[in-house]
Amino acid sequence: MKHLLRFLLYLLAAVFFLPTLATLLLSFFPEGELSLSGYDDLFFDCFSFYTMFWNSVIYAYAITALQLVVILPAAFAFSFARFKHKETLFFFYIILMMMPLQVMILPNYIGLRDMGILNTRAGIILPMIFSPFGVVVLRQYMKNIDASVIEATRLETNSMVRLLLHAVAPQVQVCLYAVGIFVFAESWNMLEQPMLLLQDKNLKTLTIFFNNSTSYGDQILYPASVVFMIPILLLYLFFHRELERGLTLHDS
Amino acid sequence: MKQNVSKKERLSWNQKCILCLVPSLLGLLLFYIFPYLRVLYYSLINNQFDKDFAGLKNYIDAIQNEYFRLAFKNSIQLIITCIPVLIVLAILVSLGLTFLLKRFKMVRVAFILPMLIPTASVVLFFQKVFSGIENELPLYLMFLWKNIGICIILLTAALTTIEEDIYEAARLDGAGGMMLHFQITLPLILPTISFSTLMAIVNSFRIFRESYLYYGGNYPPNYGYTLQYYMNNNFLKFDYQALASSSVLTSFLVAAIVAVFFLIERRYQR
Repeated sequence: MKHLLRFLLYLLAAVFFLPTLATLLLSFFPEGELSLSGYDDLFFDCFSFYTMFWNSVIYAYAITALQLVVILPAAFAFSFARFKHKETLFFFYIILMMMPLQVMILPNYIGLRDMGILNTRAGIILPMIFSPFGVVVLRQYMKNIDASVIEATRLETNSMVRLLLHAVAPQVQVCLYAVGIFVFAESWNMLEQPMLLLQDKNLKTLTIFFNNSTSYGDQILYPASVVFMIPILLLYLFFHRELERGLTLHDS
Repeated sequence: MKQNVSKKERLSWNQKCILCLVPSLLGLLLFYIFPYLRVLYYSLINNQFDKDFAGLKNYIDAIQNEYFRLAFKNSIQLIITCIPVLIVLAILVSLGLTFLLKRFKMVRVAFILPMLIPTASVVLFFQKVFSGIENELPLYLMFLWKNIGICIILLTAALTTIEEDIYEAARLDGAGGMMLHFQITLPLILPTISFSTLMAIVNSFRIFRESYLYYGGNYPPNYGYTLQYYMNNNFLKFDYQALASSSVLTSFLVAAIVAVFFLIERRYQR
């Protein structure tokens, strides 16, 4: 019985792994036989790919780094500050976190237009930095933090920045990694924002490249897919333990 | 006097803590809340030029719109069909990963990886495999593939917090096998199961990205037309009133789902 269940589990895992694996394999078989010509075509004939690739890199790095800078103090405030209606405000963050992107895309568009940063890199990066997801996750994680370390650090320094960097950040490191990876993947995968908020072709991301896929052949698209998933695969390879332990969204 | 000083100090520490929230709150107000309030306003006026108060007319138009209804029906159908399958599958896999596999823990990678893998990079494979199938099945499978990871992370985390002693005691009482899990494991992880369900429902409103890339355009076949297409297409048509009213309706729906969930949870925790 146990062996059968174990076998079924392996089988299911194989099915779930298939799309990723098949994409990897098919990229090396552009015309039915093993060759690198797909990669050759992609790297030497498809110059829009480079622009879009670097755009994706810039957005993902900028959003991840800046978001971490914003959420650490915010989560700290939710854990340690005392003020009226704190829990109500936090609940509001949770509701906002649950909103589908499409609900916020018109508000986003209008806000960015009025600020004059529509169709710029800042217009993509800024709203993503303030996404409430990281604040919620990090605050849940901070419930297990050792407050005595913070008290001890307070005796040594008056600076909030130092306190956050030396007493808080090391204790929530795992969660920061997890959120960082999650946010990086989200920004790497974003489709709606570059599609609807950008007109300038030179600012668009790789997701748009795949969206216009009819203009390219399969022999280019499979290698492009592989190149597109490599950064994510590497991140997962290095940080999978943090990802699995750091994402406490809910206290059970 | 001394007490006064320490009180003053404590106050300033608390103020400092509150100041930490300011960047996040300011960004939220600037990029989300104020623009959302403008959209709320747009949903209540007749058009961009006259700006006459229109009451609930835009909402009634949205609800009566054929495409809005189709989109709404498809979105609900996705929730009803996929969420139970997703949750049951995630529970079974998590149980298997925690209790059956002591050695080959890496198997979990296969389930967790999809949540990070860009949809755009595997959509081609899905298109090839399901090229002949003309119903919503491929979309549903992509939803399962994409969303099982987060559920498994949450569930396995909850499962590993259960202490071995509890099982020892239950075995002494004569419980065993699958009954053990039904009677002990499931009740213990029930809060996590319900939270995973909430996350899955909320994520089902985000299936747009998968279906947009899969069907590759603004006009998918009828069975693939979800709420987000409706919004997206109104966005491209610059029909602000239709978009604003459907945005507000959807946001109320999601907020209601989340609020109901937390109300139920609070009641059961007491």
